[in-house]
Amino acid sequence: MGQILLLAAGFLVLVSICATSVILVDQARQDSGWVVHTVEVENQISTLLLEVRRAESGARGYLLTSDPRFLAEHNAAAAGALADAAKLSNLAGDNPVQIENNNRLRPQIQARLAELEKIIDLVKRNDTAAGLASLREAGADDSVARIEDVANAMRAEENELFVLRTATADRTQRLASIVTVVGSGLVVALAAISIFLVRRSADARDKAEAQLRDNNLNLESTVDERTADLREANDEIQRFAYIVSHDLRSPLVNIMGFTSELEELRGDIFKRIAALSHPTVPTSAVPVAAGETEPVLEGADQQLSQDFTEALGFIKSSIAKMDRLITAILNLTREGRREFVPVKIDTRELIETVVSTVAHQASEAQAQIRVEPLPNIVSDRLALEQIFSNLIDNALKYLKPGVPGDVAIRGRTKLGFAIFEIADNGRGIDPKDHQRIFDLFRRAGAQDRPGQGIGLAHVRALVRRLGGTMSVSSELHNGSTFTITLPIAWATSNRNRDT
Amino acid sequence: MSKPVTIIMIEDDEGHARLIERNIRRSGVNNEILPFTNGTAAVNYLFGNDGSGRDRKGDALLILLDLNLPDMTGIDILRRVKENKYLKCTPVVVLTTTDDSQEIKRCYELGCNVYITKPVNYESFANAIRQLGLFFSVIQVPQTAT
Repeated sequence: MGQILLLAAGFLVLVSICATSVILVDQARQDSGWVVHTVEVENQISTLLLEVRRAESGARGYLLTSDPRFLAEHNAAAAGALADAAKLSNLAGDNPVQIENNNRLRPQIQARLAELEKIIDLVKRNDTAAGLASLREAGADDSVARIEDVANAMRAEENELFVLRTATADRTQRLASIVTVVGSGLVVALAAISIFLVRRSADARDKAEAQLRDNNLNLESTVDERTADLREANDEIQRFAYIVSHDLRSPLVNIMGFTSELEELRGDIFKRIAALSHPTVPTSAVPVAAGETEPVLEGADQQLSQDFTEALGFIKSSIAKMDRLITAILNLTREGRREFVPVKIDTRELIETVVSTVAHQASEAQAQIRVEPLPNIVSDRLALEQIFSNLIDNALKYLKPGVPGDVAIRGRTKLGFAIFEIADNGRGIDPKDHQRIFDLFRRAGAQDRPGQGIGLAHVRALVRRLGGTMSVSSELHNGSTFTITLPIAWATSNRNRDT
Repeated sequence: MSKPVTIIMIEDDEGHARLIERNIRRSGVNNEILPFTNGTAAVNYLFGNDGSGRDRKGDALLILLDLNLPDMTGIDILRRVKENKYLKCTPVVVLTTTDDSQEIKRCYELGCNVYITKPVNYESFANAIRQLGLFFSVIQVPQTAT
């Protein structure tokens, strides 16, 4: 902004200097015009006086010699004097003083010329003596002196004017040079200021750039720090899950172990009860039958034994379930810690391998699996195998009873990503469960198939680690389509760098 | 005349210790079993007060080691045993819940002789321990170096 103002000011100064110079030069031209004019007027006065003198000397010559040549010269000079007088009055018409003088001069000259005319007339009438007398008389007359006076007055006036006008012209020129010098100085000063300002803003820009660079560096290090923090937090969670699931296992071994011990004790106790309540049975027979047959019990004892068995059964099944869950968490954390290795994968071959492992299941469910053309990608082979086998397995597992299954695996690419779809015509998933099915240990729909609710959670974790996303679109009874978007060329990213 | 083999059982969970002992006994092994519930006590016994292991000179030992101990990791004990000039020939059986492949590899690298993962399923657990007991009854254990 300041720059623009400064430049505008500089431009204005330049323009005004130019304008002033033009005006002043014009003024100077006018002034010198006036000076020249003065000189011309003076010149004209001299010419006029000269003509008058010539007329006079012509007249005198004629008087002395009566030579007509002198007469002619006199006539010419007289005419010239009159013309010169007219010219002078024209020239000096701008000055009232000179007009006044002129008006005084003209009659004098006319009078003088008239006198000379009279002498010439006398000479023409051969009255030379009268002419001489007249000349003498005229010489005594002050008309000549008066012409001289007026002419001198005019000259003095013009001299005064000359001095005045020369001074004016000088002043104008000096003014012009002062304006030029001052203007140039101003321009130089403005240029200096603008150079200073440009330098200052350049400095400021350099500083800002340096600041920006610093900030960028800071930002990078901040991002690095945050990433490191996140990675650490992630590692910590993984370690936590690992340790917890691990430590939970130890007491489980005890519970399971001593439950089994209790079971054995139960066997011994009821054998003994049986032996006591049937003293007729030979004691030697009991040890033989110990492993295989239940001791024969009656009434309340029988009930007691059944309760015992039931309680132990619940304990054992719960422990087994807990063990499965803990194992699942352990496997998930182990999966999270496994290092992924990106390799080039022939996706079709990989999926056909997966399909061949579930061929038996598929034929049991009367399902066909169609593999359509698929894009090849660079990714972790084991992870991809797990993703597809889980999804295909799910598709076969949750078919509509009585309807031949149809599972299609499709693929396409878009903007550096490969999009895979696993579509089935199975029982479908209620839209309200679409989020839930991806949660660990959560399942949806009829619980008529074995499962822990781990598969999809695991698949989603894998897809995320491979830099992709997954989603499901499905309605109840209308089949499901799971869509996986994976980068075509996945490189070991920082997500995976230190796990 | 060689001394009978003593089984050193380092196991912080007393329940586990009891189950292991019971199942070893069921397989007919009657050797003395010395249970330790923490690493420090076991280390004190194995290496003596001076930490050199001279106290155990000439004993025939078999160490049953759990990796997750409250005061130290079993790996440290394993390393010290295998680095000790008296104890380095003593067979060490790692019996733990960890089935991490890295951990298993590390133990064998440090010189552990057998690595067994405790199965949660008690049938398998009891079975494994009994088989271990049978193994104990047939293997030859060297005396610690003299």
